[in-house]
Amino acid sequence: MRSFTYTAPTSVADAVAAIASAGPQARFFAGGTTLFDLMKLGVERPSALVDVSRLGELEVIDTSGDDHLVFGASARMADVAADPVVLRDYPVLAESLWRAASQQLRNMATVAGNLLQRTRCPYFRDELYPCNKRRPGSGCAARDGIDRGSAVLGTGDACSAAFAGDWPVALLALDAVVDVVGPRGERTVTLADLHVEPGDTPDREHSLAPDELIVRIRVPVTPAGRGSTYLKIRDRESYAFALASAAVAVTLTGGGVVEECRIALGGVATRPWRAYAAERAVTGRPLSAETARAAGEAALAGARPGNLNAFKIELGERTVAEALRIAVERAGR
Amino acid sequence: MTAFEVNGRKVDLEVDPRESLLAVLQDRLHLYGTKKGCDHGQCGACTVHLDGRRVVSCLTLASQVEGREVRTIEGVAGEDGTLHPLQRAFIDNDAMQCGYCTPGQIMSGLACIAEGHTGDDDEIREYMSGNLCRCGAYVGIVAAIRQVAGPAEA
Amino acid sequence: MSTAPARVDARAKVTGALRYGADRAPESVAYAAFAVATIARGRITGVDTEAALNLPGVRLVITRFDPDELTSPGFIMTGGYGFQSLQPLLDDRIAYRGQPIALVVADTPLAATEAAELITAAYEPEPAAFTLDAPGAETLVQAQAIPIPMFADTAVGDADAAFAAAPVQVDVEVSGPNQHQVPMELIGGVVEWHGDTLVVHEGTQNSGAVQNGLARQLGISPDRVQVISPSVGGGFGQKNSLQPHIGPLAIAARRLGRPVKLVLTRPQTFHQASFRPASRQRVRLGADSSGRLVAAIHEIDQQTSRHDLFPAMYTEVSSRFYGIGAFRGLQRLVRTDVQTPGYMRAPFEHIAAYAMESAVDEIAYATGRDPVELRLANDTAVDPVSGLPFSSRHVAECLRRGAERFGWAERSPRPRSMRGPDGTLIGWGVAIGAYPGSAAAAIARMSAHDTGTVEVAVAGHEMGQGIRTAIARLVADDLGIEIAAVKVGVGDTRSAPQHLTAGSWGTATALPAVHAALRDRLGVPRTGPVDMRAAVAATGGSRIEIEATSVARGQPADVVVDRLRKGLLAIAGPEYPEFVTFSHIAHFVEVRIEAATGRVRVPRVVSVADCGRVASPVTAASQVRGGVIWGIGATLREQSLVDPRYGGFLNPTMEEYPIPVSADVHRIDVDFIDEPDLLLNPVGVKGLGEVCMVGVSAAIGNALFHATGARFRRLPVRIEDVLPHL
Repeated sequence: MRSFTYTAPTSVADAVAAIASAGPQARFFAGGTTLFDLMKLGVERPSALVDVSRLGELEVIDTSGDDHLVFGASARMADVAADPVVLRDYPVLAESLWRAASQQLRNMATVAGNLLQRTRCPYFRDELYPCNKRRPGSGCAARDGIDRGSAVLGTGDACSAAFAGDWPVALLALDAVVDVVGPRGERTVTLADLHVEPGDTPDREHSLAPDELIVRIRVPVTPAGRGSTYLKIRDRESYAFALASAAVAVTLTGGGVVEECRIALGGVATRPWRAYAAERAVTGRPLSAETARAAGEAALAGARPGNLNAFKIELGERTVAEALRIAVERAGR
Repeated sequence: MTAFEVNGRKVDLEVDPRESLLAVLQDRLHLYGTKKGCDHGQCGACTVHLDGRRVVSCLTLASQVEGREVRTIEGVAGEDGTLHPLQRAFIDNDAMQCGYCTPGQIMSGLACIAEGHTGDDDEIREYMSGNLCRCGAYVGIVAAIRQVAGPAEA
Repeated sequence: MSTAPARVDARAKVTGALRYGADRAPESVAYAAFAVATIARGRITGVDTEAALNLPGVRLVITRFDPDELTSPGFIMTGGYGFQSLQPLLDDRIAYRGQPIALVVADTPLAATEAAELITAAYEPEPAAFTLDAPGAETLVQAQAIPIPMFADTAVGDADAAFAAAPVQVDVEVSGPNQHQVPMELIGGVVEWHGDTLVVHEGTQNSGAVQNGLARQLGISPDRVQVISPSVGGGFGQKNSLQPHIGPLAIAARRLGRPVKLVLTRPQTFHQASFRPASRQRVRLGADSSGRLVAAIHEIDQQTSRHDLFPAMYTEVSSRFYGIGAFRGLQRLVRTDVQTPGYMRAPFEHIAAYAMESAVDEIAYATGRDPVELRLANDTAVDPVSGLPFSSRHVAECLRRGAERFGWAERSPRPRSMRGPDGTLIGWGVAIGAYPGSAAAAIARMSAHDTGTVEVAVAGHEMGQGIRTAIARLVADDLGIEIAAVKVGVGDTRSAPQHLTAGSWGTATALPAVHAALRDRLGVPRTGPVDMRAAVAATGGSRIEIEATSVARGQPADVVVDRLRKGLLAIAGPEYPEFVTFSHIAHFVEVRIEAATGRVRVPRVVSVADCGRVASPVTAASQVRGGVIWGIGATLREQSLVDPRYGGFLNPTMEEYPIPVSADVHRIDVDFIDEPDLLLNPVGVKGLGEVCMVGVSAAIGNALFHATGARFRRLPVRIEDVLPHL
């Protein structure tokens, strides 16, 4: 690992100033669970780290509001997962958190840092291999290689690495937004606009500028939270990244008809993936095995498999259908 | 200088920004109970408590520990050598084989109990899954945590 | 809880006080790191070390050793000491990806690591082969390539004719993946010179080979090498011989006049040490219409390296599963461009059992017989290969007791016939396992003190199996003294010659001999408790020292003791002059497949083991559970991935190589037959650490068949394999 400087500013304003003065290779540093890991691998080589993990003003968790749940950027994943309102009224959020990583990592990782978690594609994580995401223009070793973990949705010629996160998928389903502060002031970015597909520039994974800092995440209050789940399928029962996952939230009419439905996918796409067509396939109908399956098929429509990951299409369809079943059951309680 | 506490003792060290807490514990403080199994947050052998919460010390920058309290396996038993009930329970349930992951399991188990993630055995299994044990002592580990946490919720 | 005593080292383990090889930093220690090859085969044309040397704190960068300062240790299977014959840093050849190309030593671990990253090399790459079917992979018939009886193919009767004539035939092909041992403790240690004596602290299962191998490599006397490895953080076969990093460290330590410490990174442990070779098996089984097995043909292709022939020993065990009168084996080795593969827990037996016991299950279905009943009907008391009796064989009792505990009688035999209320597919499967019973020569040293304490030093390495506890218990029981009065020293070449510790039970042979000698010297009866304090005092001295040597049945004493002292393998078995010895086990497994998603879970396993006398009940039960979990991992999780364009392994981390986690593990009920095998050794113990994994995969595979109606021929069985069969 090459040397870098480390500073720990005590306010958001100082942090933004520090990153601006530290040069283009400087990076914000929070829980460290992704960035320190990638620095040890030589994939990330920052010249300076600006530690934003201990900015008290960013650690707030406020789930009492009428309009939004507010999660400060530096709130830890474990703390948000344990918030009583989140646990009771938004199981999709709680499950997306406690089914990610391990409790140790969730005690370290911040809810904002987790939004920008990078892919676990093995070719990205080892300098030996060509990788357009790590070294633009070097090629993609996964393309003709062992792409079992790669995405089938939102793929591109340059890169099909799967987005690795869970929490951002749940946030996307709930139409969350992030508030961002930078030298040019504050702005709000929707989750839908935060992540970008790889296209020709897979090294660019999100729409934030390097000197912009996420300060909070806001989730619109919704009754669909109660009828929700995050279902995650992986190679072992726990402590593994998703092969396929689905965040589903629904409300029902008194007659058991799906009134509102939100579906987002993880593990199968290059970014958190909202499945609007699948939502339409169940909205206005009572959920049956057939409609659930139809929603799954709609969610994966247009999927483009590689060499070894075609199974993710069927697995994704089944995951959506099963998550719908769980969500509707919860909504009906 | 970076100042922090380890097992109640004050430490003041010049650290390289690149140094992990794990590296400082082992190479600088010669506290070898905290183990390195992967150095990338994938095994849990280096689990310690930071301000009372379990973290992996391999992905914690030593610089980030400034002003905070670290507790390692060496700080779990009493000053007089009396074992903590969870350490006793690990022995009673033979919750170990080679012993290499054991300190991390115990640090994680203490936190698991303190967090209240012991409602049923499946919850213990889930919340202990960040600590790998290649020998496969998981059955005994869950039993040891259950013994200290009290009976499962109905 | 059992009233049996806990592990003697349990307190040190739960307090973090136990020291493993690398848990030390002697005064002025320097830190080492390797730069490694980025190609899989070819020649190095240049190494650029300038940037590394310019880094502050870097003391030494070595890219090549002179042949007169370092040589090959030889391959452990051909009279040498190394996990492979190839010693890196001796020439310009690259034989596998990840091979060290430079050793860096620096004042701090950070400087050493950064310097290693700064080293670059130029190469002339050559085409390479990594898989059994790759162009350039070279297939050899083992019996011709290694003309030694031990590695010959097993053959009994005319198996081809018997198979052709059999009214019921099955033909099974199984492919086994590359897998890695992944012990929690990384490979590494601390090497230092005390004058002319080299002192090595390193986690190893074979400190005798490390001692003698280093002596050979460095051209010094073995007396000048001390290897200290009292506690190993898991080995599973990966630490069973001399690793090639230690010799270079010894030279670096000598040049610098400082101790040197090295801990390999986790990915380096996948590339600089052994692993389970890829394999392909074909089993043809013939039976009569009642399910009586009449013929078996077992053919194997097993991967090896370009530079060594890692012998395959599958048919030694597969020929003994049942009383089959006609058996033919064929073992082939396939040379590929990898480091030499080697022993990983139940190295051949685990995957051989998957093929054999899947085929037996198919015979049961083809003949309409219950799988347990069919196995009982084919049991044998006589070894079908040699015609000798088994020294003990309790397969039938393992099956009967396991079936009872599992509730096998409730099984509905038809595939896909058992379902949970939510549609979950339920499968119940059974399989047996066997593992050769070996024994080794051993030298035990014991000193009895007038304080009442007894110190015993013997060959053996504590790697979690509980050998220290088992020895302490045996000594305490035999002498009638308190277990706390027994101090056990293992894994230390300073106290007794050290032999490989891998499923053999030399200590069991040595201990009774030393007890008898001690009693004679003390003038106390051959049986009954000893008042050690009084007996030692009565001799007029404060301590009595005894050494006893023992060999296994049929071993020529002078030859094997000499081999033992030289750190070479001194093993006998499973065929002895008057009998044949195997450990046995039966596993019963329930799988549940979530109908919605295809997720496979293993909620319940019952395992009943025949390992002779159970030397240490608490640790033995833990060991069996561990073996079962290994079986779950090997069947449903673990595969070291190879990208044929690059070689090496694509997933060399604890994230990407998914060993089971706590949430994967549920009920595992363990029982023992606990009948001493007094023919094998006077204590009556047979091995347990390996046999407990054998057959788990097959039982899971048979349960998967019962749940889905599909046979899975390629391990591991992953969700994409199951999805089409929901």
